[in-house]
This record gives sequence, C-alpha cells and structure tokens, in this order.
Amino acid sequence: MPANMAPSSAEILRFLPEIILAVMGTFIMVLDPLVRGKSPKIFGHISILAMLAAIGASIFAYTNPGPAFSGMLMVDGFATFFRVLVLGVGILAVLSSYRFLDRERADTGEYHALILFSLVGQCVMVTANELIMIFIGLEISSIATYVLAGYLRDDKRANEAALKYFLLGSFATAFLLYGVAIIYGITGTTNLSAIRAVLSNTTTAPAGAVVGAAVALMFVGLAFKVSGAPFQIWAPDVYQGAPTPVTAFMSAGPKAAAFAVFLRIFMTAFETVGTGWEPLVWVSALLSMTIGNFAALVQQNIKRMLAYSSIAHAGYVLVALAARSEIGTAAAMFYLAAYAMMNVGAFAVVAHLSGKGERRLSLNDFAGLGVKQPLTAALLTIFLLSFIGVPLTGGFFGKFYIFKAALQSNLVWLTVLGLLNSAVAAYYYLRILVVMYMHEPGEATLAVEPLSFGLSAALILPAIGTFVLGIFPSALLQFADKSSIFGR
Amino acid sequence: MNLLDIVICTPLVGFLLTLFIPRSKPQWVRVFTLTVSVIAFVLSVGLATGFNSGSSNLQFVTDFIWNASPEIHYHVALDGISLWLVILSTLLTPIAILISWRSIDNRVKEFFGLLLLLEFGLVGVFAAFDLFLFYIFWEVSLVPMYFLIGIWGHDRRIYAAVKFFLYTMAGSVLMLAGIIFIYNRTGTFNYSSILDMLGSGRLSFTTGEEMFLFLAFFLAFAIKVPLFPLHTWLPDAHVEAPTAGSLMLASVMLKMGTYGLVRFCLPMFPGAARECAPWIIVLAIIGIIYGALVALVQPNMKKLVAYSSVSHLGFVVLGIFSFTQMGLDGAVYQMLNHGISTGALFIVVGFLYTRRHSLEIKDYGGVATVAPWLSTVFLITTLASIGLPTLNNFVGEFLVLQGSAQANFKWTIFASLGVILSACYMLWLYQRVFFGETPEGVRHHMPDLNLREWVAIVPLIILMAWMGTAPQTFLPPVSSATAHLLEQSKMNVPLRVHAAPAPPVIVAAEASHAR
Amino acid sequence: MAPITTGHYLGLSAALLLIGVAGVLTRRSIVVVLMSIELILNAVNINLIAFSSNSQNVRGQIFAMFIIADAVAEAAVGLGILIALFRNKDTVLADEVDLLKW
Repeated sequence: MPANMAPSSAEILRFLPEIILAVMGTFIMVLDPLVRGKSPKIFGHISILAMLAAIGASIFAYTNPGPAFSGMLMVDGFATFFRVLVLGVGILAVLSSYRFLDRERADTGEYHALILFSLVGQCVMVTANELIMIFIGLEISSIATYVLAGYLRDDKRANEAALKYFLLGSFATAFLLYGVAIIYGITGTTNLSAIRAVLSNTTTAPAGAVVGAAVALMFVGLAFKVSGAPFQIWAPDVYQGAPTPVTAFMSAGPKAAAFAVFLRIFMTAFETVGTGWEPLVWVSALLSMTIGNFAALVQQNIKRMLAYSSIAHAGYVLVALAARSEIGTAAAMFYLAAYAMMNVGAFAVVAHLSGKGERRLSLNDFAGLGVKQPLTAALLTIFLLSFIGVPLTGGFFGKFYIFKAALQSNLVWLTVLGLLNSAVAAYYYLRILVVMYMHEPGEATLAVEPLSFGLSAALILPAIGTFVLGIFPSALLQFADKSSIFGR
Repeated sequence: MNLLDIVICTPLVGFLLTLFIPRSKPQWVRVFTLTVSVIAFVLSVGLATGFNSGSSNLQFVTDFIWNASPEIHYHVALDGISLWLVILSTLLTPIAILISWRSIDNRVKEFFGLLLLLEFGLVGVFAAFDLFLFYIFWEVSLVPMYFLIGIWGHDRRIYAAVKFFLYTMAGSVLMLAGIIFIYNRTGTFNYSSILDMLGSGRLSFTTGEEMFLFLAFFLAFAIKVPLFPLHTWLPDAHVEAPTAGSLMLASVMLKMGTYGLVRFCLPMFPGAARECAPWIIVLAIIGIIYGALVALVQPNMKKLVAYSSVSHLGFVVLGIFSFTQMGLDGAVYQMLNHGISTGALFIVVGFLYTRRHSLEIKDYGGVATVAPWLSTVFLITTLASIGLPTLNNFVGEFLVLQGSAQANFKWTIFASLGVILSACYMLWLYQRVFFGETPEGVRHHMPDLNLREWVAIVPLIILMAWMGTAPQTFLPPVSSATAHLLEQSKMNVPLRVHAAPAPPVIVAAEASHAR
Repeated sequence: MAPITTGHYLGLSAALLLIGVAGVLTRRSIVVVLMSIELILNAVNINLIAFSSNSQNVRGQIFAMFIIADAVAEAAVGLGILIALFRNKDTVLADEVDLLKW
C-alpha cells in the first residue's frame, strides 16, 4: 500500500459521481422537514438534477480513466457504461414517480433520498474492482431498495414485498459473503486482478474443490440478486407488491448493477476457472428463461407477469455470461441497456394505469387502452415488441448479439432453446397487445387520467432509446465491445 | 438512391405521415394512403420497364453499410423473381385500400396506416439481398398483419391473430439461429458474398451442418407457405381477417415463404435441398390433394378459398423442388398467378360479404340473376383459378407439371389430381352461390358492382387474361433468374444427386423453349 | 491439549453456517429467521478473522468490521420493515404473510 494515503485529486474526480449523489441525498434529507407539505415536487427536481450532474461527472471521469483509492475502484469503460445506465434508470424512475407519489399522498423527501442512496451503492458496485467494495456497494444499494419496496407503509402488499425482499436479499448476501471469505482465505487478497493472478498461476493455485465451493457460493448469492433461476422465487412477490415506480427502478437499476458485478467478478477474477462454472451458468440460464416464460404465460396480474418476464430476461443475459467471451460481455451490456429502457417504460405505463391505491393491475384493466389513449398504448406497444424481440427495436438486437455470442462459443443447444423460449414469450406479450387493442374499453381505461408531463417523458425517452438501439445499434455496441475487457 | 429505394421508402414515409393526420378526418386518411400506394405502384412499374430481362445480374442495386458491427448492409436489388413480386405487392396494396374504403369505419387511421407499413415490409422482403435485412423485413411485415387480423377481423379474430403470429415467430427464430450461424462462419450477411464463397469453395458446410441450416430456413418458409402439415394457421387467419387482410395475406405474404425457398434454401444449401426434395415433394403433393379435398366440403367461402391456397401452393413447392428449369419457372409464375387469382377470389367473396354479411355458402343462391356483373367477374376469377387455358393459372400449372414430369412422372400424375379437384370445388361453389333459388336476403341486398369495386377488380381481371395469353411478357426475366439459380444450386453438390436426373443438355434446351 | 488452529475456526464457522441456513429455511417466526441470518454473517466474520490471522494480513479484519456495521444497518431496516408489517397484519409468522402468491 502506498505510504501516502491521501487520495489525489484525479482519484477524487473518479469518485465524483458517488460524492454528488451522497451529498445531494443527504441534502434532501435535511431539506425535507423544512419544506415538507409546501412544495413536494422540489425533491424530485433536486434528485433529477443530482442524477444529471452525476451522469456528467461519470462521463467526465471517463476522460481520465484509471484506478482510485489503492485500486479499490476502477473507472473504466465498463464502469462508466453501467454508471450512466443506472443513473438513467434512476431519472426515468423519478420522472414516473411524480404523479404516483402525488396520487398516493406520499411525496416526501425520503423517497428521493433513498433512490439517490441506492444509486450511490449501484455506482460503487459497478466501479468496484475489489470484493470489499463490491460488498459495500451492494449493501448500500440493497438496504435503500428494501426500504423503497416497503415505502407505502400502510399498504399490506408493500409491507410483505419489503419483508420478503429483505429476508431473501440478506440471506443471499450472507451466502455471497461466505464465498468471498473463502476466496480471501485461499488467495489472501480481495482484489479481483490479484485473485485472477493467484487462480491462474498453476503453482500457487489452490485446490479445485475449495475454489469450486467458493465460486458456487458467490454464484448463488449473485444469482439471487439478479433473480436467476433457481433463486428467483422472491422476484414475483416483490415486484408485484412494491409500489410500481419502485418496481420499475429495482427491476432495472439494481439488477443491471448486480449483473455488472456478476460479469466483472466472473469474467476477471474467475475467468481462468471458467470451464468449472460454465455449466452452472448454463443450467441457470436455461432454467431462468424457461421458468420465467412459462410461468408468465398464466399470470393475470400485469406486474406479476412482467416480474416473470424479467426473470426470463435475466436468463438471456446469463446466456451471454455462459458464452464466456468478450463479445458475450458486450452483448450482456447491450442487452441490459435495451432491457432497462423497455422495462422502465412498461412499468411506467402500469403505474399510470393502476389508479389510486394500485387497484387496477389485472390484465383486463388494459382493455381498450388503444382507443382511449392511443399514444400511451402505442408507446407500450413499442416496449412489448422490444420484449418480444421484433426487429428495429433494441430488444431484438440485444437478443441477436447474445445468441450470436453464444453460437460463437458453440453453445448451440442453449441458443436453440433460448430462441424457442423467446417465441413462447411472444404469447404473453401478445396477450397484453390483444387486450389493449382488441377489447372494448373497460372501467379502468375509461377512468384513466391523461398522461402527465413527467410520465410522458418517462415513456417517450425510453421509446426513443429503444428505437435508436434498434436502428443504430453499433454506436453503443462498439463502446460495449471496447469496454468488455474491463480496463485490464 | 435509385428507383427501387424510392419504391421501398414511399410506403414507409406514407405510413409516418399518416400518423399525423387528425383522427377526425378519416376521409383524408383514405385518400392520402390511396395516393401514396398508387404512387408506389406507378414507380414500381418503372422498375419493370427499366429492367434488363436478358440479364441474370442483380439490378437496381443499392448497397451501403447500415450497421458497422456486425456488418449489416442495406443491400437491396432486384432480379427477375423479385421484380414481379415487388410489383405484385405494390399493385395489391391500392386495391386493398379500395376494397376497404367503406367496410372499415372504426380506427380508420390505424387500418390504412398499417396497410402501408405492411407494404413497406413486403416490398423490403422481396428486395433484400442481405440475410439480416431480409429477416428484419420478414418480421416487420408480421406486426401489421397481426394487428389487421386482430383488430378488424371477425368473431374469432384474436385466436387467429395470435396463432398466426406465434406460428410465424416460432419458425423464424430458427431461421435467425441459422443466419447467425452463417454469419459466425463467414463474417458477412451479404447474400451475394455468401454465394460467392460457396461457389469458390472458400465456405463449405459439413453434411450435418448443411442439413441443420437447411431445415432451420426451410421450417420458417414452410410455415409461411404453408406446407402440409404446418398449414393449420392459414384457414383461421383467412377466415377471421378482414377482406383486405385476407387479400394481402393470400396474395403476397404466402409468397414470402415460397420466395424464401427459391432464394435461400436452394442456392445456399443445394446438397441438403436435394437430399430432402423427395420428402418435401411428398408433403407438397399431400398438400395439393388434401387442400383440394378439404376445400370441397367447406361450408364457408373464405375457408374454401383458404384451403384452395394450400392446394395451389403445393404446386409451387412441387415446381421448386423438381430442380428443373420449367418447374422453377412455373413455380415463380404460379406465385404471381396465385397472388392475382386468389386475391381476386378473396375480393369478390368480400364483395358478397359486404352485401349479405355472411360467408356461409348456404346463405346464398341465385346471385347471378340479381347481380349479373358480379357473377361474371366471379366466373372469370373461378375459371382462372381452376386453370382454364388462356387464363393465367394454366400457364403456371402447365410449366410446373411439365417440370415435375421431367424429374419424376409419378409426381405429375398425383399433382394432376389436384387440378381436377380444383375444378370440382370451384365450379360447385359457383353453382351453389350464383345459380338456383334466390333467397329473400339475397334478392334485396345484392346490388351490382359499383364504380369503386370495378376499379378494384378490373386490373386483376386484365392481368389474368394478359398473363394467360402473353406469358412471354413476364417470363423472360424470371427464366434468366431461375436459370442462374439452378446453376448455383448445382455447385458444391457431390454426385449424390438423385432427385434431378435430367441431363444438362435438355435443361438448356428447355430454357430456350420456355423463353 | 492441542492448540486451536485455523481449521478449528473454519469448522466452527461451517457449523454456524449450517445452523443459520437451517434456521432460515425451517423457522416460522420472522424474528428467528433474522437472527439466523445474523448467525451466518457471524460465521463469515469468524472465517475472515481466522484467515486474516493465519496469513498475517489485516484486510480480513477490516472486512469483518464492515460486515458488523452492515449487519447493524440490516437489522435496523429489517426490524423497521417487520414493525410496519406487524402494525398492518398483527403477525410475525412467515407463513401468515401470504398476500402475494399465484
């Protein structure tokens, strides 16, 4: 360790996004009691400004990439990509929350502060190059998200969702930590590059069984976090019970960050023992896709259906991980970006339609939306077509890159089964389209209010993004390609 | 930017502009979309006049890199096969708009807009010479048709629309796997480069790989054709779709399948194609006879026409997999014929439906006495459909049967049964609907054709006669393209060829004969 | 008497892990489940400190400090969520929390 522990100004610049978010989050907490009840919207504005500033800082930090704080953090293309991604998800979530919080009479500063704190954690996670930092980031993000899931204190469903999320989440963290402890024990370090060096050196490499146990424990922990089967059981309950804008946030942001950690750990530290963990990922990917898609087929609650669909999409990203290649990593990054947009968009429509107290969540409540609100319906159609993977949407190119990477790594069966899965998935997304366009307007759609400004922004921005990724994918993909080597 | 690009873009621009027309002005939507589609048609006729029919080279080529990684080209071009199919699509779109003029009165803007989007997808499918671009247009054309059936269809429209979407989707994901596999092997999606690599031996597949790829592509196309036993989505989709939907589906979308077989399956995987040809032909012949027999007993007019399509497209597949010049020429010609005559059949059935609001044959009778012109038009269409000489289907069926006879005479015998059966079911349909007692409901609700309907149907009637009497106007570009295809489908094939015993000398002679 | 080696610590930690996992999976009371999770975290701590002392490397002890801090935060949030639930539903038994299911 260097003798001079004081961080240089370059290192502080590399950490600036997190600093901005933490300071602004605290500022909102302090401001909250002073202005409570007077102008509740101000917290939303402040947090959006903070996130925009953090995006700016992330991009600025990338002009001078490199490690910070004795190599604990690593600002590289990969980190910048995910920082911008999770911050973008945060902005969209806040945009779609304005109307919701107003409707539920729950517009307080702490909601926005919690989102900012959760984002601090996610930014640390995606930047961390070291197991302790990953753990700290993961916990900052998770604890804030547990509270967000139960944010509507008087809603029994939200209580239950928060409790389940909390119990299973901390259980998973404990598993992850046990794996980390073993890795620390056998390698004597927590730095990812150093672990890689130890594991790949044949003379110092520890016993395969111990490494295997550690990798398996960490895999379990991370699979919980990304809702990969067979550790997906919490996801449907939590996504259904949590307030819808929070569901939008946590099914995209923390999930993307967890995948970033997954990719970074497994593709740097454990890359050299890849043949060992590939079957684990293979099985988990197939199970996630199959369980997610087939369970979604029979759902009547729209949030639950989207929850199962998000399990299936986690499966697609795991396919990219199973490819164990740089193009696989790049494909996963691209897919997560496309997925974040369509998912936040779809949940924002649900939030818009659900009405006070989130009563209208059944599939039939979408009946006739295409007649009553053609614009909302058209935007949701774009997201659903992207979920299905119809060309000219981001979802299509995401799937395309993932399966291309999988075929390149000779995962023929996983590719074929995955593609057939995506054909099955088309069925339940089509059900929403059918209800929306081919049924007569019902009570829910007749009562729906016009789109507010914030919600339209939260819908139109990702719709544009979905098309941009679907028509000009190469700009983002080239960046992902470049970043998929993790600044090694 | 050449003429072909303009033809492709016109409907897309039209679709986007349609979105901005106020919802309260449905008449503007109708007039605007009709204008756009007529412009597209006129421009596409320019393609035919500017086409050098003696050459088998690609014409009207535009090729630039659309997406750098992976390298996807916007590569569109025409050869003799694409040319006519593009024109078929642009011809039928204005007709589809015309026949929906009055019958569609809810969500007018969406309906006519989607028709233009559909046209964009269809023209693109036939013009794309990049595998990836082809796949994109293939899927893009799926979405508008799904909505056309699902929103404006009849009672069981939702079931039919979802079934249609899922069948096609299931087939096409495997094709996508095949496309990615080829890309990983060659580093390009460009159809011409892939064929060059295959021809020069720089790219070769093992027998197993070739079979896998062939089946992946074949399944996607066979579902779309549809080949027996994958046809079950078709009657549902046709019966439930609005008339314009049935028209576009039968006349153009089914051709996407047969076009794909000709364009991709034959030249790219010639070995596997020949290996499988006997089995495929058996399925095609079963389809011909089965489709005809089922059509015979249908009580519903649209269902009858739908099953007749299964039968007719069996001929096309038979022609394709006979691997003879005449068979291929006939198959391509038959694609166009089927587009025109079956399209016309759906249109006149639609005319009957708008008057009587029923598709059941038993609700009709004696229409000939009340609406003589409608009956005449229906009769001409019927005769064209059963292959009366001097009308279009005769030429195509004759070429297919002759081509298949060169390959294996037994196939011809069975396939001819289909021709006979088609006369039975079509004439019987005509007799039951147009002759006999005139029920009360028919007598009072059966005005004769109005001007708009005349305008919609006359171009097709003219084409039936033209294509039946002067095939030399249409065949030369087709023959030069199919001759080239046949050439390509011979390369790389070791001597395990057993489906096409015709020696090359005869093939050459036939080629000149067909011209 | 043999000295206590790193192996002994690892054995203790593994036992705590198993007890914790069994507790999470079988107990009905959410409070006990919470305690079981704390038990697993403590198993991790024992592991880390044993490794740290074994390899004369301070990193593991620092890590353990962070885990203790995190466990406190988690317990605070967890009990908060539990109290909110108790107010609404009058139960702390896991199998009575069953609003959300298919």
